[in-house]
Amino acid sequence: MALDMSYKGKEFPSYSFKVEHCKIKELCGAIGDKNPIYFDSEEAKKDGYKDSPAPLTFASLMSFWGYPEIWNRMTEIGIDIKRLLHAKEEYEYLELIYPGDELTGTVSVDSLRDGKMQMACFKTTFKRGSEVVLIAKMTIMVPPAN
Amino acid sequence: MSLDINKLSVGDIIPEIKFDEVTQVQLIKYAGAAGDFNPIHTVPSYAKEAGLDGTIAHGMLIMGMLGKLISDWSGIKHVTKYGVSFKSKTVPGDTLIAKGEIKKITPGDGFSLVDCKVYIEDTSGDVKVDGKVTIKL
Repeated sequence: MALDMSYKGKEFPSYSFKVEHCKIKELCGAIGDKNPIYFDSEEAKKDGYKDSPAPLTFASLMSFWGYPEIWNRMTEIGIDIKRLLHAKEEYEYLELIYPGDELTGTVSVDSLRDGKMQMACFKTTFKRGSEVVLIAKMTIMVPPAN
Repeated sequence: MSLDINKLSVGDIIPEIKFDEVTQVQLIKYAGAAGDFNPIHTVPSYAKEAGLDGTIAHGMLIMGMLGKLISDWSGIKHVTKYGVSFKSKTVPGDTLIAKGEIKKITPGDGFSLVDCKVYIEDTSGDVKVDGKVTIKL
């Protein structure tokens, strides 16, 4: 299926995501990261943090829970979501994210490549108020059909 | 604990982390935590219909495990960039080891940037995820 290249550069409507300590604990628990700073606010404070910080891959959790519409957007673009593979994931951290933060996530189509092998990169900019706290880029590919 | 930039050199090895064996229950826990409910990770019969031998781990779970190597070493507040490529599949029963080393140190105005190569492999040396991380000290 050909990709609709008019989506290149397109920005989708923003969504909001409230960070809860419980989700930080759940994610670290699943990863097997037992660092007490993620589980106990007091331990985090002893280490110089305001509260338990969100771990490095928390953006993925915010994307899946906060913007499940991404799957429909991909389908609209022409991406076969049953065959896609996750190729790359990249983060740029500007500010720490804490429980209680109310973030706004905005997804845009950072790059789009059609051909035998299709590739797309989706960039999400997370803001707290007007301040950008995290930029996430997810690159997916769809391998050539057999 | 905090790293001292004056004690770091290119080629230094980040203390490796060996994780407990990946289990099916862990994949179910990760699915619930992260909100990624693709049954390829949680339902063996679905994974087999999709042409796999069984369920496979979420790539993002493995990136998260590799992330622990970095945040335990430097402290999460010092990490400015972290990016990975997904190389091969992880399945329940695999035991993973996260490793890394310093590749470049760039002194700046009042701080330094430390670029590292990081990767996570199984006990037979098959690299699952490799990436780069930048620490600001």
